Amino acid sequence: MNTKPYFFQSFAIVAIAVVAFVGFKQVLPDKIFSESKMNSKNVLIDSLLLEAVAKDSLSVNDSINGTDAEGAEEIVYENIEGIEFPSETFDEYKGYQYLISFYEKLYQLEKNPGQNVRIAYYGDSMTDGDLIVQDVRTNYQERFGGHGVGFVSISSESAASRGSVKSTYSKNWKTQSYLNVKRPASPFGVNGHVFFANDKNNVTWVQYEAGTNKYSTTLDNPTLFYGRSSKKGNVNFIIGKDTLRKNLNPSNLVNSLKVTSGSIKSFKANFVHADSIPIFGFNFDNGSGVHVDNFSQRGNSGLPLSIFNANVMQAFNNNLKYDLIILHYGTNVLNYGTKNYSWYERGMTKAVNKIKESFPGVSILIVSTADKSTKYDLEMKTDSAVVPLMKSQKKYALETESGFVNLYMLMGGDGSMVKWVDESPARANKDYTHFNQRGAKAIGNLLYNQLNKGYEQYKALREKRDLSVKPKVIRNPKADSVSVKNDSVNE
Amino acid sequence: MTTIDSINNWFIQNFGAITTEQVKGWFVYDPDEKLLFNTGLFLGLFLVFYFVYAFLRKTFYLRLTYVILFSLFFYYKSSGIYFLLLLLSSVVDYGLSQIIFKATKDSTKKIYLVISVILNLGLLGYFKYMNFMIVTFNDMFHGNYKLHDIFLPVGISFYTFQSMSYIIEIYREEIKPTKNYIEYLFFVSFFPQLVAGPIVRAKDFLPQIYEKLNLTKQDVNNALFLIIGGLIKKTVISNYISVNFVDRVFDTPLSYTSFENLMASYGYAIQIYCDFSGYSDMAIGIALLLGFKLPANFRTPYKSVSITDFWRRWHISLSTWLKDFLYISMGGNREGSFAGYLFPSIFFFGLLLWGITSYNTSIIPLIVATVSILLFCLSFLLSSKKKQTLVTNLNLFTTMLLGGLWHGAGAQFIVWGALHGLALAVHKIFMELFPSKKDKSPNFFWRFFSIVITFHFVVFCWIFFRARDFETALQVINNIGQLTFEPELWQTIILGYKNVFGLMLFGYVWHFLPETFTNGMKSVFDKTPLLIKAIILGFVYWIVYATAVAGSQPFIYFQF
Repeated sequence: MNTKPYFFQSFAIVAIAVVAFVGFKQVLPDKIFSESKMNSKNVLIDSLLLEAVAKDSLSVNDSINGTDAEGAEEIVYENIEGIEFPSETFDEYKGYQYLISFYEKLYQLEKNPGQNVRIAYYGDSMTDGDLIVQDVRTNYQERFGGHGVGFVSISSESAASRGSVKSTYSKNWKTQSYLNVKRPASPFGVNGHVFFANDKNNVTWVQYEAGTNKYSTTLDNPTLFYGRSSKKGNVNFIIGKDTLRKNLNPSNLVNSLKVTSGSIKSFKANFVHADSIPIFGFNFDNGSGVHVDNFSQRGNSGLPLSIFNANVMQAFNNNLKYDLIILHYGTNVLNYGTKNYSWYERGMTKAVNKIKESFPGVSILIVSTADKSTKYDLEMKTDSAVVPLMKSQKKYALETESGFVNLYMLMGGDGSMVKWVDESPARANKDYTHFNQRGAKAIGNLLYNQLNKGYEQYKALREKRDLSVKPKVIRNPKADSVSVKNDSVNE
Repeated sequence: MTTIDSINNWFIQNFGAITTEQVKGWFVYDPDEKLLFNTGLFLGLFLVFYFVYAFLRKTFYLRLTYVILFSLFFYYKSSGIYFLLLLLSSVVDYGLSQIIFKATKDSTKKIYLVISVILNLGLLGYFKYMNFMIVTFNDMFHGNYKLHDIFLPVGISFYTFQSMSYIIEIYREEIKPTKNYIEYLFFVSFFPQLVAGPIVRAKDFLPQIYEKLNLTKQDVNNALFLIIGGLIKKTVISNYISVNFVDRVFDTPLSYTSFENLMASYGYAIQIYCDFSGYSDMAIGIALLLGFKLPANFRTPYKSVSITDFWRRWHISLSTWLKDFLYISMGGNREGSFAGYLFPSIFFFGLLLWGITSYNTSIIPLIVATVSILLFCLSFLLSSKKKQTLVTNLNLFTTMLLGGLWHGAGAQFIVWGALHGLALAVHKIFMELFPSKKDKSPNFFWRFFSIVITFHFVVFCWIFFRARDFETALQVINNIGQLTFEPELWQTIILGYKNVFGLMLFGYVWHFLPETFTNGMKSVFDKTPLLIKAIILGFVYWIVYATAVAGSQPFIYFQF
């Protein structure tokens, strides 16, 4: 065997390898792993989003919408019954003015604790498992009272990860979601889902158990919501050792059935002969204070909101009486290689208008996308689509007269997601997209704080308002509840 | 001039223009850019270093000093100012080792040994465990002590153990001390194994310093083969599957299906093996290129037929260190010691306490606690030599508990160590009750069964090792427990993560390849001409690069 020192040959190998690498780098493709899109029936994909993206790709125009000059544009509000929030620039846009009807309801609640304020929080996977929303809810219930987790669907992909209420369900529910079904057998509920218990051989059931979160330790006044059908059915509620058999009378667009009055720890619902009745879910609230419903749906872009049936929603609204609708979307439209979001702006404007039609007079708050990082060369940085998307979200917020939370800036702006993931203890997950419990809590607090700042400002403006000025006509003719009540009403 | 210009242009085209800012970045500590073997910066620095090294091969002190300086720079790049800590601890340890060596009375030797052990463990304890202890104390006694802002110097667990081995071996008169501080510092700071092992023993390494430096063709072949394998294992398999799959699932296990949780557990098993053994292999390979032979650190551990076998194949340098200096020092299989009784008692007491306090919410913790205590008792009560087995098992269990804690400050590491300690005891009593026939090798099916069982036990323990905390580990296990047979659904998931699962499969197939096959590959590699070897190495660099720039896999949601 050759035992001569081999140092220089060894060095030569390493050195030649470097040269070879440079050569390979030029000849071979840049990336090894294909990033093919998959399509399978078991994968959650927002079908409206795919359609919108496909349509958009026909008119390729990758210019980034929005210029810097636009950012400094002054937004001046109209005086509504003596209240006019100071003007703000597009860059700083928060739109508190458009939340006045919500703030007035909060104000009334603060004065008369028996009243009720309800918020619907629509979101995507960011709010899965009640993340963020449960913290917003806790903040509100801490200050304004209220007990209960609000409206809960029959089943959800993320039910297992939800701690604020535990729900388990039989596997034989037939589920339709607004995410990938355009024409459901029966209109979707306020949660964007409709469920059918049409297994004739086995019991179709759902079970709820209160979680351990503050103000959600019991299931308060559990109430079933179901839709219209030609046939009647039955449901058995099992609470502890008692079984209550009740009839389902599906005569109205939306019907409700109280399981029991008061607060319980858990119950099970067995549906029998209910095969054609659309079931939506259960509501848990104690009837006073603030209640926040979490309507999260993984993979949702927000566009499916536009296929809501306004009549059904109005029927829900008559029951639940929403004061604020929060729309928190964006994560699922970041991955399409485009920075032109005019298609999304158009689609979401339509969706917000559908919400306005469905919940007349309600205040709407748009929450922008959070920061998300992508690898550029070897470094994780803010995805180049984040800022264009956030701007387009701000645009449709302004366009539709909605309040706006710039979550991207709120969490620290450029490069903040990398920080949230890397810091110890971490506040976001290694996918550089989703928050963990700790981060979600921080986001929930940031959101609440911005909303609350607007509320405090509103109260101050309300104090100072000059009622001698004749109120101007409100732009939204339907918005009856927008009007600010006079204090004398309460006296 | 045109040639210089064109070379310059070519350079800029391929590497980009180099600014002074960048050059400064190569030499200044940056906490976000550690100098790992699989980085381009290391490759560049090593090339320059190695070129000079080859010229110095015939010198002695000049060469040692040269390597020491590079090692210190290497450490500075990883831990900044804390390279001074390395220097300081080496001065103290060297001084103490000289005193121990020169002392004539046994009692004096012992006193200085104890001082050095306390100093070393104190240093390690402060940097690694201080905050863990404060948190534990605050939790248990509702204390309100502030956490210290402690930076964990890279590799402190490794070089502390290495210097301890030097002192203890001198005390045991297994080695003679080095002639001077330079030689000692060379041993402690040797950069290939400095930050992540293998933990090189003084008695293996010191003799090599004094030998005439030589590097044969065979050495280079071995080194390149190790480096290539290590690069692929660490940067391709381990990094890709962790970022794109395993980390996500372990972040929020409940957001994923049972099948994904199961696959993430298998994924983590191959990830940690590839990460750890890959880095070890690179360290051994680089040391070999410099003419130093470090002992093998992993021998395809998942092929183990028992948990005892596993610990002879997994992180060998650590397990032998623990055996020689912790287990034997406590009395090994001969006698009991205070520590040997203390730690298992605390552990089992804590376990029982946990079972009792959580009895109101669930009976499972109490069952787990009772069963583990029962198992541990049975492991010596069933033995024919009860007293001796008790002592052995206590010492073994303590070794595994502390070994678990060495991997990180956290309750989940203790649980991980305890599970392994318990399994070792159970396996020992099993072997005593059902001895295998020595003359006959076990049949294929029994062997296969043993490997599968051992592997799954190890994977189970890794869940605790990986999970952020104890609760998350239980969530993963709970979720896997709800697995149902749904092949259609599994297929969808596998297709969704086809890159990740492909790499996992590649990792496992590679791992379980028969040794004859890998040896065959090695001998083919040995026979290829120098140029081809270089090109293969260059190709591997490219694979590393291409994987590193690959964007992360987009999110997939499954609906079921």
